[in-house]
Amino acid sequence: MLKAYRAWDQYERGTNAKAWLLTILRNTYINTYRRAKTRPVMVDVNEIEPYTVFRDVRSSDPEAAFFSQIVDDRVTAAIAALPEEFREVLVLSDTEALSYAEIAATVGVPVGTVKSRLFRARQLLQKQLYDYAVAEGYVRPRREEHP
Amino acid sequence: MTQREPIDCHEAAQRLYAFLDGELTPDLEAAIRRHLELCTGCFGLYDFERAYLRFLEARTRAVGAPAPVRRRILDELFGDEARAE
Repeated sequence: MLKAYRAWDQYERGTNAKAWLLTILRNTYINTYRRAKTRPVMVDVNEIEPYTVFRDVRSSDPEAAFFSQIVDDRVTAAIAALPEEFREVLVLSDTEALSYAEIAATVGVPVGTVKSRLFRARQLLQKQLYDYAVAEGYVRPRREEHP
Repeated sequence: MTQREPIDCHEAAQRLYAFLDGELTPDLEAAIRRHLELCTGCFGLYDFERAYLRFLEARTRAVGAPAPVRRRILDELFGDEARAE
């Protein structure tokens, strides 16, 4: 937001202030996450399976309590590792609380594309965080629940 | 407008995030709610995903720039635009 104040003289009165501001927000987030130092290996987008995590934890942790064990740095790193087109819709939705229509206008893609990218971004991130939680012992993997 | 057909688990899964993000039309939202009352599997999934989104929101907002300031400015801009229209 500070960037918007600093660049206020570049804003032309009468043009779309909302779009201008959202563009700055978007670029700021892209830069922030590009700079993030911890960059886990990128996950192949085609390997994402929907709802895997819920299927794995529904009997052991249906309230999703294991998420609260995960440290902030890990969350930031996992978001930074998302493919850029996924990361930006996730941030604009889950951090900025923009509507699908607002995200579509900001990114410049149809609403349907926002929906599918957001779905995959959230599922991909959830899977990565779950894998981390299993590795750290915050949650027991499914196969150990049914020996 | 006619009453919607009951939705099945597949459609409930497809519309999961649109529902949680408040992006569905009222009749679709009502149809989802009717399905969740009858289906414990989908009810559990929706509960789990709702908790996940709350977690995501809390953590990413904590990491980013001061949210209240940003939100207030966005609100003012959206408000100005809404009043102008």
